[in-house]
Amino acid sequence: MKRAVRLLGVGRWRPLPALALALALVAVGFAAWAGQDWYRAAHDEQAAYAAQRDAALSAGEQAVQNLNTLDHRELKRGLDLWESSTTGELHDQLASGRDEFTAQVKEAKTVSTARVLSGAVTELDDRAGRARVLVALRVTVEAADGAKSDKDSRMLGELTRTDGRWKLSALGQAPVGGTSTG
Amino acid sequence: MTPTWLLRRSAAPEPGTVDEPDPGTDATDAPAEPEAAEPEEAPAARPPNGRLRNAVLAVTAVVLVLGGCGFFYGAHQLRSQAPARNQALTDAEATSRVAGDVGNALARIFSYTPDGTAAAERSASTVLDGRAARQYETLFARVRDDLTEQRVTLSTRAVRTGVIELDGDRARLLVFLDQTSHRDPGKDKGDAAATTAAAQLTVTARLDDDRWRIVDIKAR
Repeated sequence: MKRAVRLLGVGRWRPLPALALALALVAVGFAAWAGQDWYRAAHDEQAAYAAQRDAALSAGEQAVQNLNTLDHRELKRGLDLWESSTTGELHDQLASGRDEFTAQVKEAKTVSTARVLSGAVTELDDRAGRARVLVALRVTVEAADGAKSDKDSRMLGELTRTDGRWKLSALGQAPVGGTSTG
Repeated sequence: MTPTWLLRRSAAPEPGTVDEPDPGTDATDAPAEPEAAEPEEAPAARPPNGRLRNAVLAVTAVVLVLGGCGFFYGAHQLRSQAPARNQALTDAEATSRVAGDVGNALARIFSYTPDGTAAAERSASTVLDGRAARQYETLFARVRDDLTEQRVTLSTRAVRTGVIELDGDRARLLVFLDQTSHRDPGKDKGDAAATTAAAQLTVTARLDDDRWRIVDIKAR
């Protein structure tokens, strides 16, 4: 009796509910797969490292440009920018030499404008928060009499990550004719 | 208490089986039906319940599919982003290799002795390609005679090399060069003073047959 009814029930089933269930399972599977795929992509260490590299480069280029740009008419703003672009020893040096430097630039009445031609990161220690960059730079200096001169320079910068932001902790010209290689 | 419940439970299939045709007509939850093991559920309450369940199932499925598509798109976005594609430094081995190859190539093609420009040009033909090869030819054609006449020895060294971008078989690099030139003391007044000049280049290179060749050079 029971069996007969059951068979009858099976025969009466529409394929729709079964199909709906199958589709639902497929939906669950797809969502789960896509979710873990996204999670992997979002937590990809290599991608995070690449993002840090690019952040370090853009911060480095900007900081190097900032530190080579100064207008004697807007000294306070320029020097504030210098200090906010730097950290560590370089920051301390700039802060302590600020008054002396202000006096010099006021006297010379120069306007320096820097433009980054190209830059690259050569080293990046993501954990320690340290990076080194190369920056090719063109600095235009306008003297008090309006005469302009261009000077190309190649800079080596060292960046340190402080509070999640990359800032310059050392900056110098790449030596010409030296013995160092890199 | 318990015996009564058991009794009721065992008695339940009877009305359930009797009622079977009724729930069979509405298209509800398939697996629960043939069992009829849930006699507690009043048969009368089934139709709205089943419809609700279907609706919930459908909405859940749609949400899951949409969510899945969202994640799929998000993952694709993350992977195709410029930072992730650029392998500079993330692939340390490839990065140092292209930097080394390009640095050496530049040193070779821009170093020569007054009588040995042919060596530099030979190197150039193996490491340069495309626009860079044409640039080099034009440059050399212009200075070749002067070089021999003035007996200049030039030695070039890549002081610093940074990989700006590395994407598979293409790379862009920033190279700081030191170029030291000597005038041959044999001629003239024996003035062998060396002068060193700095140069900054951005170089585009292409991986060809497992060798990096320079295809474009821009002085910065």
